[in-house]
Amino acid sequence: MASMEKRLQKELLALTKDPPAGVKVDSQRICTNLSEWTVDLEGAPESIYEGEKFQLMFKFGSRYPFESPQVMFIGEHIPVHPHVYSNGHICLSILTYDWSPALSAQSVCLSVVSMLSSCKEKKRPPDNAFYVKTCSKNPKKTRWWYHVLLNKVERNSVNMYEEERPCDMK
Amino acid sequence: MATPTGAEGGTTPPGGADSADTDAGTFYECNICLDTARDPVVSMCGHLFCWPCLHQWLETRPQKQMCPVCKAGIGKDKVIPVYGRGSNNQQDPREKLPPRPAGQRSEPENQGGGFPGFGFGDGGFHMSFGIGAFPFGIFASTFNFNDGRPGPAPPGSPQNREEQFLSKVFLWVAILFIFYLLIA
Repeated sequence: MASMEKRLQKELLALTKDPPAGVKVDSQRICTNLSEWTVDLEGAPESIYEGEKFQLMFKFGSRYPFESPQVMFIGEHIPVHPHVYSNGHICLSILTYDWSPALSAQSVCLSVVSMLSSCKEKKRPPDNAFYVKTCSKNPKKTRWWYHVLLNKVERNSVNMYEEERPCDMK
Repeated sequence: MATPTGAEGGTTPPGGADSADTDAGTFYECNICLDTARDPVVSMCGHLFCWPCLHQWLETRPQKQMCPVCKAGIGKDKVIPVYGRGSNNQQDPREKLPPRPAGQRSEPENQGGGFPGFGFGDGGFHMSFGIGAFPFGIFASTFNFNDGRPGPAPPGSPQNREEQFLSKVFLWVAILFIFYLLIA
């Protein structure tokens, strides 16, 4: 797993040196355990999350980068967003189905920031209460449904845990 | 609410044409391990990878063979090995990692062994008109109508009506035949 460690070190360096707007990494804190990172996010100016602070956790499994990292919001402050559950799980296609090894922690951060910035209304996903009660601790164990809308540019999401059921969200 | 898709969020090539990145070495980094590409191959879309890295990715998602960088189609025969000067090893890197042998799938064993000609099994009537061992095999396979027979058509469909009509016709033929046997 030497190549994975090398890659993570390079990614950490890149993220510290050239982070997307509103992203801050404490590389000192990460150095002790490269496979688990905590990244600080700040709501972008002029977005509805302006000034809010969030924490994002990355967990890199042994098959990284061939498998996506586990990424979720942690801490007291979880953004209220239609694709973020109150337990911190994020419904974002690149975190599961659309993952590619050419993506990186940097691009995941960028995606999350842009997901927050483009949101117009603060609300939880419609099935939040049910999902939070029944889901696994690991968001990657959830069978996420990515709804493809408007020629694949906009995506809406519904999560399914364990069994496939069409949800009331449309 | 536009959620960034993978295509948007992920097309940043690591160590790509970054103005701050004057180090020429980063241009020859594998897009997967982010290290200098070893046994390099280049895709039709122009992205460089170590062959071992790309091979592992193609094995991870065999049903979704896409370039990790730009999602173009990619495959073993759609990449070109890159040989630099001075490397004494001109062997095609793609030959080094032989693809895993394909799984072997054997046909399920023939159901209902024993005498192949007459079998009054569940729902099927087999008949065979042969003498000796050889024709049995042919007729048994020719008259096995019950294998892989599709289910009945849904009620109300034209096919269903047709089937009911046919079954009535055959019923009458059978009754007439029995009647004829009784008279004769």
